[in-house]
Amino acid sequence: MRPSTSILWIAAFVLLFILYPLWTVLQASVLVKGALTLDAVRSTLKSPAFFLLNNPGTPRNETLVAAAAGITAAAAGGLFRLSRRPVTIGGVVRWTAGVGVLGWVLAVLYLAFGALRNSVLLAIVVGIAATALGFLFALLAERSRLRTKQLLGPFSILPIITPPFVLGLALIYMFGRSGFVTKEIVAFGPLGAAASGFLATGVFFGPLGVAVAQILAYAPIAYLVLQGVVQAMDAAMEEAAETLGASRWHVLRTVIWPLARPGIANAFLLVAIESLADFGNPIIVGGGVPFLATEVFFAIIGRFNPSEAAVYGVVLLIMTLSIFLVQRYWIGRRFYVTITGKPSAARPRPLPPALDYAASAIFLGWVLLILALYGSVFVGSVTRLWGFDYTLTLQHIRALSPTGWQVFWTSTKLSAYAAVPSMLLGFLIAYLVTRVDFPGRNGLEFGSMLSFAVPGTVMGIGYILAFNQGALLLTGTELILILAFVFRNMPVGIRSGVAAIHQIDRSLEEASTMLRANSPTTLRRIVMPLMVPALLSGLVFAFVRAMTAISQVIFLITPAHNLATTQILSYVEYGSLGRGAALASLLTVFMIAVVLALYAINRRLDTRAAARALMP
Amino acid sequence: MDPADTQAVAAGRTPDPGPRPPAVPVRLERITKRFGSFVAVEDLTLTIPAGQLVTLLGPSGCGKTTTLRMVAGLEHPTAGRVWLGDEDVTPLPASNRSVTMVFQSYALFPHLSVFENIAYGLRIARLRDADIRAQVADVLTLVGLPQVEARYPAQLSGGQQQRVALARALVMKPKVLLFDEPLSNLDAKLRKRVRAEIRELQRRLGITSIYVTHDQAEALALSDVVVVMNQGRVEQVGSPTDLYRRPATRFVADFIGEANLLPGHHEGGMVRVGSYTFAYTQEHAPSGDVAVMARPETIELHTDGDGLSGRIRTAFFMGTVTEYLVETPVGEVIVAEPLMPRGPLRSGEDVRLTFRPSGLYLLPAAT
Repeated sequence: MRPSTSILWIAAFVLLFILYPLWTVLQASVLVKGALTLDAVRSTLKSPAFFLLNNPGTPRNETLVAAAAGITAAAAGGLFRLSRRPVTIGGVVRWTAGVGVLGWVLAVLYLAFGALRNSVLLAIVVGIAATALGFLFALLAERSRLRTKQLLGPFSILPIITPPFVLGLALIYMFGRSGFVTKEIVAFGPLGAAASGFLATGVFFGPLGVAVAQILAYAPIAYLVLQGVVQAMDAAMEEAAETLGASRWHVLRTVIWPLARPGIANAFLLVAIESLADFGNPIIVGGGVPFLATEVFFAIIGRFNPSEAAVYGVVLLIMTLSIFLVQRYWIGRRFYVTITGKPSAARPRPLPPALDYAASAIFLGWVLLILALYGSVFVGSVTRLWGFDYTLTLQHIRALSPTGWQVFWTSTKLSAYAAVPSMLLGFLIAYLVTRVDFPGRNGLEFGSMLSFAVPGTVMGIGYILAFNQGALLLTGTELILILAFVFRNMPVGIRSGVAAIHQIDRSLEEASTMLRANSPTTLRRIVMPLMVPALLSGLVFAFVRAMTAISQVIFLITPAHNLATTQILSYVEYGSLGRGAALASLLTVFMIAVVLALYAINRRLDTRAAARALMP
Repeated sequence: MDPADTQAVAAGRTPDPGPRPPAVPVRLERITKRFGSFVAVEDLTLTIPAGQLVTLLGPSGCGKTTTLRMVAGLEHPTAGRVWLGDEDVTPLPASNRSVTMVFQSYALFPHLSVFENIAYGLRIARLRDADIRAQVADVLTLVGLPQVEARYPAQLSGGQQQRVALARALVMKPKVLLFDEPLSNLDAKLRKRVRAEIRELQRRLGITSIYVTHDQAEALALSDVVVVMNQGRVEQVGSPTDLYRRPATRFVADFIGEANLLPGHHEGGMVRVGSYTFAYTQEHAPSGDVAVMARPETIELHTDGDGLSGRIRTAFFMGTVTEYLVETPVGEVIVAEPLMPRGPLRSGEDVRLTFRPSGLYLLPAAT
């Protein structure tokens, strides 16, 4: 196939299966029964479920309190700036306005109600916490002298290859009303009893639980971003600072931190996108509190209102897309490039011991928590009734037959079908955008990476709205699930492909061409063999992502074509926690086995590089 | 920078480098450094005289950079002591040694302006703002780079970055200044110029300096003393001319300049190479079987007469000299001949080789 032909085909696919569904969502938000109107937008945005600042149900006036907080913050900001020399009018005005607006926004986020406030506050909290953990872990990975850092590999990849909501499920097991810790901690004196009483109120069944589950699930994403950033830092820079008299702490503050800042912003934004788009955790541990991603679902499945769902979807889309754009085009350009070509041979400087030990302790705590959480799901799948009767039993596993096994098989089958085209399409796009010059190249790359930034629920309603009639009637078929997987996971293939192609020196291809090989021969004899390891990991990770996906497919499944993730969700919803845990364990073990098999075949596989391909 | 300073700089005032601490010698005492089972430096003892520029020269992996880093305090020796003057600095971290370094990659802080890069150490030392401004301006004039204070490293050329790195190291008035292959990222022409500038500045300021390089030409041009290292050990210490004319080992002879090492025999002032015997005197010359080192530019080619017989295999015309590869009974000999009135010789011609004593040196055969 000539490049121009393949470019046209790919452009058509991207238009049809990524941009067109998004367009229909946009259309649905302003079209009610075929007429152009802003009614749906207006009624949704005005609804207290979406956003409410001044709640008539509470005694205080939230609008006033927020305004007061804003004014106080503004005054504090202005006074602070006045105390710093040199005093300029512009500076004071900027500080007054900046701190004032910040204070007001924070106060509003704290005081207000509704899905918008919940989602934004959650994204900020999770973003900050996960990024802080990720940065700490990245420092450990690159600069620790302790052995504990060797655990970073497996424990950073685990939450990425399992469905994120498994952690939410595990939180219920450990800290829910009848959770293991909630029940057993009573034995530890009055303090334990107090903690138990606190947990029994169901604090983890609500925004707090969602936040904790997301922090645990997304800290590895921040870690993988920042590990690359810290690794790329020239250790000579730190050494130079040391010879100039800087202590290790001073180096951390004046060299490492400023250099890592763009990376930190990057990690924060990626985590924020994931948090906003996450569907599994809010629905499992959200306790009915509205979030944007779940409201999209409830509007369509519970309230049968596609316009309302579309409005929620558009709001969510605008937020994630603007974060995506900021991340890609603004932060992306702010990275400090290494100045000279030659990297120095200097070995990384160790962390200050106090920080090393403290960070390692935090990391160990994190590892133990993750172990306990995954462990509780595994144990939960073989205990009779969690929280009441811990007798070992195989009843939940037996109860997976026939439904559980069947959906597991469907998931595996469809994910495997989808993995091959995701990977091939991804590699083809990667090859075209890196090696072939054609008009609209940037557009094609952007369009194909877009599906990473689009929340699954939004793409989900896009698919049901776009493909439910005429020649494109696909809803209810296996094909629509496969297509959803292919176009959602194509970026995994693109990432793996771009990384692999960059490793292949262009002169290799030129040498092949000069030896009279034509383009397909060069691709087949030179490029492909060198890319096989990347192809393989692209394939496996496209498969893993499809197996663990939930948000998009929840709109597309039918009783005939149910999937493992959505089945776990319905088990949990109907109170069959045991069966949910059994299926979740099965899925987790299977994913671990698949990734281990990949390692066995491909020993040179770089864990972190591979995991990065999986990230948003 | 306040206006008065700007004017002073514009008027071409020679900046006062300010009071400097008196130069101190550096003494490395039986230093060993191991990385796991790899021995990077083995039992090295070396004194760098106060105020001199000493080069550590050797192939990559010879331990020269590790030695430099131990002086800086960036590595700590497995055994042995490091002395700055009378002070044993072995246990001190890099930040407390008053030793600064110009890095191969320059290691300029990309997020700080040139001014803040240079002021970095001064701020840690808690100098007053006015002093910092004055010292930064002075040192920039010293390295010949005024008026770049506000720029960022990425906006400077390679040569300018190199000077900022030098300024940042100099402004701290260190007891010892270290250079880790500082010119390897510059192009050939610039390298020569910066090399001369570094040498001139070091002489003027009289700072004890240690310079690491693998480029023998750079080492010869730059140093008071050259230390040739190989596999973690010192091969020879000496002045550039010493090393060139009287190499202690075959390694040094081979590494510094180009050398022919021919098997020969020495007995009572007479040297025999192949069938050619000539008179030669050298203090403490080894007797019996020897290796005769002959520099290519000191071998003369004749078409007849006495000398080591040989036949020209190839001739390379290189402008100022013509280089010949001559086949002789004792092996191939490289000869570099300046342009002669008779013109270059052709390959295949039979020749006689004679050696000028200035380029000869006898080494024990076994070394």
